[in-house]
Amino acid sequence: MSTLPFDPLLAAIFAPLAVALAIACGLPKRFSVKLAYVGFGLPLLLALHVWFYYGTAAQTHGYAFLTSYSTGLDSLGIGLKLGLNGISLPLFVLAGIVGFAAGIYAIQSGAERLKIYLMLLLVMQGGLMGVFASVDIFFFYFFHELALIPTFIMVGIWGGRDRNYAAMKLTIYLTLGAMLSLIGLIALYVKSGAHSFDLIELRRVIAAQPFEVTVQHNIFGLLALGFGILVSLWPLHTWAPLGYGAAPSSAAMLHAGVLKKFGLYGLIQIAIPLLPAGLIQWSHPLAWLAVVGNVLVIGFVTIAQRDLKQMVGYSSVMHMGYAFLGIAAGSTLGVGGVVLLMVAHGLSVALMFLLTTSVYHRTHTFALDEMGGLAQKAPVLSALFVAATFAGIGLPGFANFWGELTIFVALWKFSPLITILAVAGVVISAVYGLRAAARVFFGPASPEFTKIAAEHPVSDLRWSERFPALILLAALMFIGFWPKSLSTALDATLSPAPAAQVGASK
Amino acid sequence: MLQHALLVLLLPLASAAVIALCLRRSGGIASILSTLTAAAIAGFALLLALNNERFSESFEWLRLGNFALSIGFKFDDLAALMLVIVGIVGLCVHVFSLGYMHEDAAKARYFGGLSIFMFSMLGIVFADNLFMMFIFWELVGFSSYLLINHWHENAAPAAASKKAFIANRVGDFGFLLGIVMCYWANGTVNFTELATKADTHALVISTAIPLLLFCGAVGKSAQLPLQVWLPDAMEGPTPVSALIHAATMVAAGIYMLCRINVLMVPDALTVIMWTGTATALYAALCAIVQSDIKKVLAYSTLSQLGYMVAAFGLGSLTFSHAHGTDTHTVVLAAGVGAAMFHLTTHAFFKALMFLGSGSVIHGCHHEQNIFRMGGLAKKMPFTFVTFTLGVAAIIGFPFLAGFFSKDAILYLAFANNKAVFAVLALTAVLTSLYMVRLWKITFLGAPRSDAASHAHEGGLALTAPLLVLALLTVIGGYTGIYPDVFSGVFDLIPEAHGSDHTVILLTSLAVMVLGAGASLTLYGCSATDSLQQKSPGLFGALTGLQLSFDRGYEYYVAKVQQRFALFLNFLEQIFLAGLIVRGLAGIVGLVGLGARALHVGRLNVYVYWFLLGIVILWIYATFNF
Repeated sequence: MSTLPFDPLLAAIFAPLAVALAIACGLPKRFSVKLAYVGFGLPLLLALHVWFYYGTAAQTHGYAFLTSYSTGLDSLGIGLKLGLNGISLPLFVLAGIVGFAAGIYAIQSGAERLKIYLMLLLVMQGGLMGVFASVDIFFFYFFHELALIPTFIMVGIWGGRDRNYAAMKLTIYLTLGAMLSLIGLIALYVKSGAHSFDLIELRRVIAAQPFEVTVQHNIFGLLALGFGILVSLWPLHTWAPLGYGAAPSSAAMLHAGVLKKFGLYGLIQIAIPLLPAGLIQWSHPLAWLAVVGNVLVIGFVTIAQRDLKQMVGYSSVMHMGYAFLGIAAGSTLGVGGVVLLMVAHGLSVALMFLLTTSVYHRTHTFALDEMGGLAQKAPVLSALFVAATFAGIGLPGFANFWGELTIFVALWKFSPLITILAVAGVVISAVYGLRAAARVFFGPASPEFTKIAAEHPVSDLRWSERFPALILLAALMFIGFWPKSLSTALDATLSPAPAAQVGASK
Repeated sequence: MLQHALLVLLLPLASAAVIALCLRRSGGIASILSTLTAAAIAGFALLLALNNERFSESFEWLRLGNFALSIGFKFDDLAALMLVIVGIVGLCVHVFSLGYMHEDAAKARYFGGLSIFMFSMLGIVFADNLFMMFIFWELVGFSSYLLINHWHENAAPAAASKKAFIANRVGDFGFLLGIVMCYWANGTVNFTELATKADTHALVISTAIPLLLFCGAVGKSAQLPLQVWLPDAMEGPTPVSALIHAATMVAAGIYMLCRINVLMVPDALTVIMWTGTATALYAALCAIVQSDIKKVLAYSTLSQLGYMVAAFGLGSLTFSHAHGTDTHTVVLAAGVGAAMFHLTTHAFFKALMFLGSGSVIHGCHHEQNIFRMGGLAKKMPFTFVTFTLGVAAIIGFPFLAGFFSKDAILYLAFANNKAVFAVLALTAVLTSLYMVRLWKITFLGAPRSDAASHAHEGGLALTAPLLVLALLTVIGGYTGIYPDVFSGVFDLIPEAHGSDHTVILLTSLAVMVLGAGASLTLYGCSATDSLQQKSPGLFGALTGLQLSFDRGYEYYVAKVQQRFALFLNFLEQIFLAGLIVRGLAGIVGLVGLGARALHVGRLNVYVYWFLLGIVILWIYATFNF
């Protein structure tokens, strides 16, 4: 049982926000940096704390650590209600870990206008903790926007190549996605007649009086489309490789790693339990888009990339295909697999973006053809990169494997044909992953890299890069070796909910 | 017992972890730690196997809904035999590596890789269900990747390691689908539960399941058409080739097939039988034209793996026993017995020859071309004697290990399928031909290079493992001397009786003498290939045959896959990125806000715009739903 004298969820949300506020109020730079460690460290510690005590914590309506605060908007049914169930706990922990890694990487990055950069990252971090701790849909959405806006700004100011175009595209797509899903959420609120955004209350009301089937179809469609854009469902994914290609590494880590999971989380936590008929209606189109578009087409597009960062961006789009497939398959197994994959992908893609930047600092290019032989000069970087690559292609021992495996098993029951196509993706990801690793690290150095290495002596990974990378890798392997650390809570939440089983009965 | 089994499994994992985290720069300590671990594994393996304690135990690893995945130990005679093989060969290779890799700069990484491999391989041995086997199956692939890529600064190992992993992934694509299909068809993938279901006729009979599972073996055991990765894998250090790419990992495919024997149906067995037979013949033909000592052994390994797969595919034997008036028939799973028997003897003599080739390469200062060797019999007498035993065993010289196991397979083929018998007998002629060729050119005659004339025997670390393996090569075929502990496997070995026995014995002796005689007369101890001189057409045809698969795959990758990828990328960039986003930007422009107002740093504008949007959408949603 948690013995903290305060609410750990509220503290995890407001610690980074408070630090961001302090920095905004003009705290000198050296204090800002020190305080930023606290701002990123506290959410991690609190996340680990609730992870550890979740099993023994008292549960109310399936949520642990449940608390609510009045917001003065009670008449609209809006209250700040925080709590964690088996679905949100893994993502809350993910946000804590990736936020900390991205944060300390940013602190050491020596970015220009570091204070503002850290402030924005801290706001993002606070928003991320809030997204997954909110039981209230209004705040769930609010925290998402709170985290999203700094992303646009960071891409626009600290971005790399094409940053203005990327920032614009990112903003248009993600705002559109967010808007569509907002319409869906508002429709849910209005149609349910619950006069509450509280998910627990909504569930109770809808269980007593389910929506008509057509209403479910429409709302689910809106949510799937809106959330789909946010999670880069093909063909609405084009913002992702471009945006991540341009984004500064910590922002890419937080967005691709954590914030992007908002859409999937919304589908799993809200849409599937409340709109079971909607899932059945949409599961086949969703699955076909995901398997043909995200997995196969984008898989081949990833093979064609010659720019390392673009390749990572596209591979992330491809892996989101598996997540949609798990959702389409429904059932405890499929949906549980999606949650496992979300956590695993969040950790591994954050690691990949971090290491890609580290590679860039040594090669001064992202062009795969102009690298080679980096392993001789940076063995630790190469070992970590190879580990991250194998995590990404679903090697057992890393968390990603469990997500992919459970999704494949669940998917067979849904459609063997789609499963066959989806499993073909594991070969595709091995092709591009290993090819990139070989081009960057192995074999003799390319003439271009030899020249650059002569001008800028190449050193191995510094501790400021190594430490956040090791945290992410350790988390991937911890879950990889002990999947029950997440799946027990997940199973307890998903199994009793009959709504999640609907997909399975198809 | 379970604690010992757990210890055996976890020791190498711990060793790998300690090496990776603490001993990166201390190769000496790392090598000792890894070797001690291997010694402990070998010790516990013998203890577990010979104490005749058999058990099965499992622990839940993951549960979601009704789906549960367990990590379990199924320790029966089959696993015990495999455990002993892995333990003994593993220890020999570790000790050999102490000498062979002594001066390598990245010794710690090498020995860490060996420990990861031992962990992964033992996981396959102990696995009590297909999911767990798949997990460790992927992990051996990973450790193989690491070790092939040991000298990563060269282009060839980097390419070979990638190729090995991807070829295996292609096989695993089918394997995983087979496992998932088996899970949904039977509700379990636990070997014991599947066997129980088979006994009660509750098993779902399907041809697709065993064939898909066989895909895994095609990748891992390098059967046609996925065999291309194994010859390339010789880019790894030679002890790795001995352990992973000859004795244990590549044999895991055969071990897996024996584990899922209950799922087999006749159609699937026919496919498996012909795949193995074709591989055996194809690889033997390729081996004739190799000039790299390791490549000859690699193709020979392929060919022998084909033998094992064919043996498994030949299936069971049916006997009629007359008891007084009523006869009852006994079905013997002879395929399993013959395949596992040959796996065992092959592990010993092929590891012996690979380590022998390592000793030769070490002695000749990393010369691998046999035409630049010669006369090594005098320079390296110990290696010569042990290698000769290995050659004699593989060509089926009487009373050595290979003689018995090869005869068992030939007999099974003779009894079940005469066509396969003919091909396998022909393969045996070729085996004898290319092995004697290798032996003669490498060891006899006069030295043909400086390296060969200055060749010398390595230290005790290099010779002791050869001695142990040579001993096992001599005695390994006498199943009688194994105690009853492996009877669960060895009782299944088919034995010829009466006239069949004579036929097999004569065939086996004839093919050996024929191949060896042809080789001794055809090949001289010269710096050029005699076949290439006497019959360039035949030599060219065989080389073309060897390269045909690689050429086909290269064509596919460069001309089909890459072009398709570039085409899709073109569409992606032009249509999706170009047109659609322009369209959306146009819409935003129409709304009158302009893209400029909502991007880059102007937070307040964005927020106003956002709030306005919410109000509009709220109104829209309220009226339309």
